[in-house]
Amino acid sequence: MEIPYEVSPRRDTGLFNSKLGIWLFLASEVMLFGGLFSAYVFLRVGVIEGVDTPWPWGINVHKTFVALGFINTLVLIISSVFVVFGWIALKERKWAKFQFFMYLTVACAAIFMALKTVEYRSKLTQHHDIKLLDNSVMEGKILEQTFDVPFEGTSVEFNLVGSAPGFLPDIVGDFPTFTAEWKQYEKGEDGSSEIVSKTTEIKSASEFNSWFVKARTKATADLVKERKRYRGEIAAKEKALYNQEEAVEPQAPVVDTKAKVTAAEPFDLHSRRRQVRPIVRSDSGKDSMTYIDGCTVFGKGGDDRIKFEPHYVDMQLVPVHKQKDSMVWDVLGDSHLKDAWYKNRDSAYQEMEHYYSGKDKEIPESMLRGYYINIQSLHDKAHAPSFWSQFWTEFKAGAGIGGSKSHDDHHDDDTHDHGDHAEHAADTHDDHAEEHHDDHGHAVIMVPRDQVKFLNSHGPRNGNYYAIYFTMTALHGLHVIGGALVLLYFVVFGKPLYLKNPEHLANRVEVGGLFWHFVDLIWIFLFPLMYLL
Amino acid sequence: MSEAAAHTHGDVHDDHDHHEAPFWKQYVFSTDHKVIGIQYGFTSLLFLAFGFFLMMVMRWSIAYPDRAVPMLSDWPWFQAWLDNEGRVTGDLYNMFGAMHGTIMVFLGIVPLAFGAFGNYVTPLQIGAPDMAFPRLNMASFWCFLLGGVLMFVSFFLPSGAAKVGWTNYSPLATTTDLNFSSQFWTGQTQWLVGMVFLISSSLLGAVNFIATIINLRCRGMTWMRLPFFVWAMMVTGFLLLLAFPPLEVAAIMQLMDRLAGTSFFVPTGLNVNGIAFDAAGGGSPLLYQHLFWFLAHPEVYVLILPAIAIVSEIIPCNTRKPLWGYKSMVYAVMALGFLAFIVWAHHMYMTGMGPAVSTFFQTTTVLISVPSVILITSLLISMWGGSIRFNPPMLFATAFIPMFGIGGLTGLPLAFSLPDLHLHDTYYVIAHFHYIVAPGTIFGLFAGIYHWFPKHTGRQMNTLLGHLHFWPSLICMNGIFAPMFLQGMTGFHRRAFDGGAAYEEISTRVIAEPGTFVAGLFEKLRIVGEGQPVEMIDLNIVTSTFAWLLALAQVPFIINLFMSVYVGKKVTSDNPWDATTLEWATPTPPPHGNFLTEPVAYRGPYEYSVPGSDVDFTPQFEDDPAVVKKERSVKDKNVSADDSSKS
Amino acid sequence: MADSPEELAKHKKLYKYVGIWLIVFSCVALALGKIPFLDFGPPGATWEDIVIGLSVSCIKASLVALIFMHLNHEKGLIYKTLLFTFLFFVSLMGLTLFALADPIKESYDTLNTLKGILNFKS
Ligand code: HEM
Ligand SMILES: [Cu+2]
Repeated sequence: MEIPYEVSPRRDTGLFNSKLGIWLFLASEVMLFGGLFSAYVFLRVGVIEGVDTPWPWGINVHKTFVALGFINTLVLIISSVFVVFGWIALKERKWAKFQFFMYLTVACAAIFMALKTVEYRSKLTQHHDIKLLDNSVMEGKILEQTFDVPFEGTSVEFNLVGSAPGFLPDIVGDFPTFTAEWKQYEKGEDGSSEIVSKTTEIKSASEFNSWFVKARTKATADLVKERKRYRGEIAAKEKALYNQEEAVEPQAPVVDTKAKVTAAEPFDLHSRRRQVRPIVRSDSGKDSMTYIDGCTVFGKGGDDRIKFEPHYVDMQLVPVHKQKDSMVWDVLGDSHLKDAWYKNRDSAYQEMEHYYSGKDKEIPESMLRGYYINIQSLHDKAHAPSFWSQFWTEFKAGAGIGGSKSHDDHHDDDTHDHGDHAEHAADTHDDHAEEHHDDHGHAVIMVPRDQVKFLNSHGPRNGNYYAIYFTMTALHGLHVIGGALVLLYFVVFGKPLYLKNPEHLANRVEVGGLFWHFVDLIWIFLFPLMYLL
Repeated sequence: MSEAAAHTHGDVHDDHDHHEAPFWKQYVFSTDHKVIGIQYGFTSLLFLAFGFFLMMVMRWSIAYPDRAVPMLSDWPWFQAWLDNEGRVTGDLYNMFGAMHGTIMVFLGIVPLAFGAFGNYVTPLQIGAPDMAFPRLNMASFWCFLLGGVLMFVSFFLPSGAAKVGWTNYSPLATTTDLNFSSQFWTGQTQWLVGMVFLISSSLLGAVNFIATIINLRCRGMTWMRLPFFVWAMMVTGFLLLLAFPPLEVAAIMQLMDRLAGTSFFVPTGLNVNGIAFDAAGGGSPLLYQHLFWFLAHPEVYVLILPAIAIVSEIIPCNTRKPLWGYKSMVYAVMALGFLAFIVWAHHMYMTGMGPAVSTFFQTTTVLISVPSVILITSLLISMWGGSIRFNPPMLFATAFIPMFGIGGLTGLPLAFSLPDLHLHDTYYVIAHFHYIVAPGTIFGLFAGIYHWFPKHTGRQMNTLLGHLHFWPSLICMNGIFAPMFLQGMTGFHRRAFDGGAAYEEISTRVIAEPGTFVAGLFEKLRIVGEGQPVEMIDLNIVTSTFAWLLALAQVPFIINLFMSVYVGKKVTSDNPWDATTLEWATPTPPPHGNFLTEPVAYRGPYEYSVPGSDVDFTPQFEDDPAVVKKERSVKDKNVSADDSSKS
Repeated sequence: MADSPEELAKHKKLYKYVGIWLIVFSCVALALGKIPFLDFGPPGATWEDIVIGLSVSCIKASLVALIFMHLNHEKGLIYKTLLFTFLFFVSLMGLTLFALADPIKESYDTLNTLKGILNFKS
């Protein structure tokens, strides 16, 4: 028997199989995105004022992104229209027209994804937050930072059994000559075993690996043997006790699996910050550094500062009466910023007061710390670039297009490509927290890492807004790609089916189209939730 | 249909060989729902066995926390996880506990109940040639297998497998093993990836099932002529379809927390081992629980509905009576499906929910027991006054009813927040749901295996071995779970790897003073020393022993399953049980495409002992009873004789 | 769905208009979000803005669902499925928020305490 109702609808339900299937699938998709939307609302409503990272609003969600999001909204709407046109073309049996509209749709999907990529890159590489120990936040751009903890090692101590092979070559830059010391069991002449200290010279990473594997195997075997002996002794003791004989006290295993390698000369380390304990730390001047799995490096910590171009200061997590003495002003090292910040705060306060006095209500404290007052542009307002020039700069940076000089925007002189900006900053600077202004008022400062509580780009780690933004848009993006691939499949490989049974193809396109509209529908909600509200 | 029934085996095989497909296409990458069903069945039986093994190790740790595990301490893998003395460590216990739950629920029972039985039986019962989307069906099996393999492989990662319970609560699940510097990829992470695959598989499966049931019913198969099994499968499908996505969301979000450093479920100011956790914070652990239980409560009905469905096929068939209250059962199962979505927070009474929310969830939870009771009562009444054939499937089906009853009734105290404050996270909860899934669902699944085995193999499973399987299993199951109620009410925590030994206050509560009968019994069995009272903690040994015995009780089943394929008694007709539903109208085994002629349903699914008919069953597919009657009375006499004589 | 040429032409026209309306509504949404004059209630994203902003989205969404996805004349079965889906979605979002909004007294104080600790520590 053939599977019925693949092309023509069943009489009592009025549906052909794949249409029923896609609607069921969409129902589950509604629950999928429904779960995410619920999470969005739950997390946003659940923000504890003054404790959790606030939900960014207005100025924090950069104008550039709103523009990109808006363009993407239009792109998706238009692509939705193309899809229905394509489907109608198929119903009219016009293959060329169908092809035309489908390719347009896929092109729209490509544009959508391209803009999305620009947006992601811009968020991930062009915008950063630094939260200082007192919860004040500077927003801006990190020009230079070390991803590894700067540390010059001389020796490393680790446990043979706990660590993975190859960890040392992983963290050591240029492999120096090491002397390894470790202990192992050796059988004496009389059959008894004793613990012997051993040393060997290790010249290269591969030598290290083979030594490590050998030593570890031996250590593990020793450990197993010792444990077996110990268990045997326990059993013997129990038996002896049972028989009321004299029992020998079992001797706990004493296998020392620690090993140490000492380098002839100091070496550099590649150690991601999160591998080091405690996780957020600076190792300036320390003489040892412990990895989370317990392996310890001895040596000397380097200077650990971040070259940062601050744009905004955000004091929402600092109590009102402490904002004046916040450490952020020291870090910024510019007293007139503080004054400017207060002036702006006061004007925003007046605006708020105006609103609330009309309502005959007190200004809530959350508003005082709130979104408007405490986030201040450190730009010189008079020199602020126009929307389009800012847009263009950010767009290029996000898209990774270099060379700002080439374009003929008349605001050109206001903007600088961030790339050469960094260079410029680098050669006029030594590593101290004095400040520097570039042409349009961007200060460049050096932030000591041990005053930093949390640091991130505007990537998913930044806070719940960015987390859910990336999760939802990425999932949506996957749906866009999936839908586009399906539609592409229909145009590229659909011809034979079209010739054989055009109605079948029309059904398939309808089903694919339903999915596509659903993707559009999700975006209709994502756009206001992520960019506007 | 009489034509189909008349086919001999030779004919069927001929038919099968017509479209000669290569082996891998016929048995490995097959799109035939029956092959996929059997693939599901075997994989999930393997996983059930594996999950059972994990449990036996855990039970050792609970019963004898201070003794080396026998046999295992020399296995290389265990070396890393047992302590110096060869005892189970907390880490190992947690790992096995988490994976036992996960494997049993997501890799054992759901695929066996929904994947295997659903796949094999549903299309046959509605008279369809296959599932609506056969290739999707295959995709969902391979997705499932991939998820299963990921779960299994995670044991061999240096970090070990997941360790945070099958519920995988954040923030513990977010931070566990995250500090494995040399190991970016951990078992905890792999668990999440595995779950994403398993969930996707279930979603594809659910779409397929519902579409099949709605659109591929054969001529005459109206909604109220659907066998109850099919109804239950459809409700199960909807539960999976709509409840699983939020868990997928939760898994993705937790994955982001672990890999991308987000803090969806990480609250502000979290410290791990005294070190500030490096994340932005601001997340909500409760959000995870909401998303998880939004799935996991419907999931428990996914676990039980297929079993009820199987039982309600077997009971009418073996009592030779129609299913009592078919319509009310259908409506009950729909109500159950609906209510299942709005009771989830009864798992979260302890999370600081206010009285208003608690009241809402208490009310809905109590409400949902009404349809459950309707189902179970209908099954019970169905047996009233029947001439019952107690063959192995019927034994399991009969035992299902009281076992499910105990499980369900003990859920009621949990449904109220006040007693739940005391009982939450104790062995009482463990006993409650295990009574439902272990002697309940698993018995239902065994019943199904015994019942439909002849359809696929053309041979009966051995009855004696069936009895040898059933009776010890029944005793052991109760021996395992009944003491847990006692312990739970005393306050034994469900996740203590020493079985509560550390909590002397409760573990030393006396059950029986020395000199009493019970104490004498315990003394004889060497569980307590001479003249010692029996304490709560001694029940651990009872429970564990029954658990290991239960493993032995499965040996007859395994033997039976494999032997009967080759040496079981051959069935002489396509309908050996004299059943009424459409799957018995197909040749044995059903060929690709299932039916030789287009099936038609002429009547309801449970027309047993119709007054005026001279056989005691009138199949759905039988158009004119008068014609077929003569043939059948000759042919089927010897088949049913065997089993009915046993009872 | 009738497949006659006139019908199809009519559909095409409808789809075109719907597309235009969708674009118009997108612009409205953008204006609501970005022009201070259209910011209702107190400054910031308050419930007034959220309700208005999301209603615009709902109008757009229903246009897409009804016209593009043909939900304006679909089969009963699909309506039923979607109805239940919608109910469960609402219960998921509604009940979780309900639970969030109804904490027991003590936990509320815990939050305030936590707030104090975090703010006045350094
Ligand atoms: C018949 C009415 C039922 C009621 C009133 C009920 C009630 C409850 C409640 C309130 C809990 C939470 C206990 C706690 O954690 O403190 C619970 C746990 C549980 N129930 Fe039920 N239940 C019922 C039926 C079922 C069924 C049919 C299953 C199917 C397998 C089931 C499986 C479970 C599971 C697996 C858990 C424990 C989950 C965990 O914490 O790991 N229950 N039940
Ligand atoms: Cu529940």
